[in-house]
Amino acid sequence: MSIELGHFAVVTALVLSFVGIITPIIGLKTRNATWVVVGRRAMISMFILLTVGMAILIYGYVTEDYSVKYIYATSNSKLPIFYKVAGLWGGHEGSLLLWAWILSLYSMLATLIHWKSQPVVMPYLILIESIVLCGFLLLILFLSNPFERIFPVPLDGKDLNPLLQDPAMVVHPPLLYLGYVGLSIPFSFAMAALFSGRLGEEWLKATQRWTVFAWTCLSCGILMGGYWAYYELGWGGYWGWDPVENAAFMPWLVVTAFLHSTMVQEKRKMFKVWNLFLIILAFSLSLIGTFLVRSGILSSVHSFAADPGRGVFILGFVCFMLLLSFGTLILRSAKLKSTVRMESMVSRESAFLFNNLFFLVALMTVFVGTLYPLLMEVLEMQKVSVGAPYYNAVFMPVALGLIFLMGVGPYIPWRKSNSKNNKKLLKLPLMVSLAAVAIFFVLGVQKPYALTGLAVVFFVLTAIFTDFNKVSAFWAKREKISRIQGFFSAYRGNPRRITGIIIHLGVLVMVVGIIFSSMYQAEKILIMKPGEEVTLKSFRFRMSKLYGVTGVNWGGQEALVDVYQEGKIIAQMHPQKRFYTVSQTPTTETAIHHLNMGHLFVTIPEVAPDGTWARVRILHNPLVLWVWYGGGIMAIGAFMNIFRRVRRRSSQVTDTAGMLPEVSPNIAQPTR
Amino acid sequence: MKEFRAWHLFLLMGLFGLFFLFYQGLWGDPTVLPPVIIEEPAPEILAPVLYEGEPIRLSDHLGKVVVLNFWASWCQECKLEHRFLLALKKRFEDNPNFVMYGVNYQDKDHLAKAYLEEHGNNFEHMIDMKGIISIDYGVYGVPETFVIDKKGIIRHKQIGPVMGDVYSELIEKVIEPLLNEPVT
Repeated sequence: MSIELGHFAVVTALVLSFVGIITPIIGLKTRNATWVVVGRRAMISMFILLTVGMAILIYGYVTEDYSVKYIYATSNSKLPIFYKVAGLWGGHEGSLLLWAWILSLYSMLATLIHWKSQPVVMPYLILIESIVLCGFLLLILFLSNPFERIFPVPLDGKDLNPLLQDPAMVVHPPLLYLGYVGLSIPFSFAMAALFSGRLGEEWLKATQRWTVFAWTCLSCGILMGGYWAYYELGWGGYWGWDPVENAAFMPWLVVTAFLHSTMVQEKRKMFKVWNLFLIILAFSLSLIGTFLVRSGILSSVHSFAADPGRGVFILGFVCFMLLLSFGTLILRSAKLKSTVRMESMVSRESAFLFNNLFFLVALMTVFVGTLYPLLMEVLEMQKVSVGAPYYNAVFMPVALGLIFLMGVGPYIPWRKSNSKNNKKLLKLPLMVSLAAVAIFFVLGVQKPYALTGLAVVFFVLTAIFTDFNKVSAFWAKREKISRIQGFFSAYRGNPRRITGIIIHLGVLVMVVGIIFSSMYQAEKILIMKPGEEVTLKSFRFRMSKLYGVTGVNWGGQEALVDVYQEGKIIAQMHPQKRFYTVSQTPTTETAIHHLNMGHLFVTIPEVAPDGTWARVRILHNPLVLWVWYGGGIMAIGAFMNIFRRVRRRSSQVTDTAGMLPEVSPNIAQPTR
Repeated sequence: MKEFRAWHLFLLMGLFGLFFLFYQGLWGDPTVLPPVIIEEPAPEILAPVLYEGEPIRLSDHLGKVVVLNFWASWCQECKLEHRFLLALKKRFEDNPNFVMYGVNYQDKDHLAKAYLEEHGNNFEHMIDMKGIISIDYGVYGVPETFVIDKKGIIRHKQIGPVMGDVYSELIEKVIEPLLNEPVT
């Protein structure tokens, strides 16, 4: 019975989404705010109704109601309760409901938060969000209904895919959706700006934190997915350029570009059309990503059942949204001619321009690589797959260029830089990076790409700390306090800048992790019998035992692998080959030993039926933890950015504290 | 609308191109294989070899059974099957009518050589850096293995690693019968 209540709640939400579409339009036509108030109430009600729908479905999971087809397909009575709840987003239907719920949450919050401060935006925000929500609710109710019953009622569920029974996988989808869907808020503000013709900088300022929040969730979601692939899929690597990974990565690239280029518009009133284009592109890519993943047109590790009906609907919806948004942009962009021109190719504006250019090249690389197989197929040529060599060859130089810009962009003045200043900016970082290269070369890091990468990392690090030192000294002198206190004053003076730099530091840590764990990864795959040994680098692996094990809902085999270094035992590792009895799925459980922020990684992808031998895969991934440490630092920086205090309005304290001599008074003047 | 500029046109064309592509793509199934060129004459190959030596010409081997294995050093599955490939070559080593070549697909020479050094090698390899041979043969991923009969007709295509049962079936049901076929 209760399931029908949930179903009914979601149907009501769909009806209300039409209210959310119609009322703001009437409100705008009749210039009567009451209609918009109705829209706002519809928005809030939709959130409540979808929450009810979600709660009832979760209740169904907890009470093991297998008369519901979706619960039957993604749960089992033997599952721990944690995974029972997570079963909700363990398949196509439920994860779409989660998508819609998050969208309604965002819309409601945005309506409540900005109701007073952005009255002009509200009708458009309600309109756009309702359109998107309407599209998704139609898809959920008519083509992927999680509330559908089955008869006869099965005794037990088919079990959640064992690969998804993992903590990282439980948080990965909600985080990704928080990221994808979060982009709809700045997107709606941008559309509101286009429709209403209020194309100043207000929409950027109002949505900056929303964008950073969405960006953070997207980043964390992607990293979580990488972590999951790393040890649960037993890839031994965290990034495989899988089409679905790319689908999440593409909007990330664009949002990152957007977060940077908005600063140019805020400070210099340039890039106006460009910023609108970027945010529309970012949200479009998250919709396209949804389409690519859900329609099953690309083959990937993330397989949802292919269903052309669903595909056609999502495609129709994506077409509608893209044409609506890009069409409006085209029709309105004539109003947006920037009157400010780039003054010099050596200035912060141009650094941002290159930043955007590189991000777009990166985007095109991933985009082409992802869709090329599809294009070949449609043109009835051969099926092809684009492998890692393509991405690495094209992506690496672009990434290096972007990292290099992190050492220049934030420190070069706006408008125009002079050569004296340039020399000052470049000299110390260059010297340090050359010294670092020499040291690493002597230490045995001799691959050209690794050295180039490290050189760039040290260049940027030096640039960052030189600047930190400079601003700390400035504030220390100004407020007569110590350097360290001075740094905190600098932070309070311009938290947005400092938090941005913290994110940059996280990126550097991650890049070091990527360089070492990918270029200095060592691997061996071989057949081992108990008692046999193999050496990898300075480690000696001895498989001492191979025996059967059982868990709650699985049975399998486990190997005991002793690891020796310099004759001493340093670890005992227990990789497993599991077989989940209910869903009849085998999985490979990785054994990981932490070692100097790197990993020893052992899996047994294959065990002989009689248990006499196992295929063993052994990896050493040096510094691989830095990838996620870097991610953690980025997340800390991002959250500090989101929850920063609003800067006090003091005319003296400009955010260019890092480069005081160049502050020119006319920066803040309107130029339109 | 007098301000209609070039980028507007590009944007719209791009969008519609994309929609068309996606729409067409919906009716294909990425897991279904294209019509395989089995029972067709094997496309001619003239390719440089990985180690020193004369380029390989496939038509020089008419009258023999040829096994072509497409692989790459970046391919995980290839590592799994490599042991079996070595065994395969060893098994037919003494048969004058058996030829086996690796086709190194979109790889770098030094990586391919390092791979062979690590995993062992007992047969010759040709280089298909740009994937031209692979396109001729309709290879959509690595590893793939082709068996060509004495008349130069492709008789078998194996997608994915040759190991376990696949390995024994390949020998018993494909290669051995073909070796026993008379040359006409």
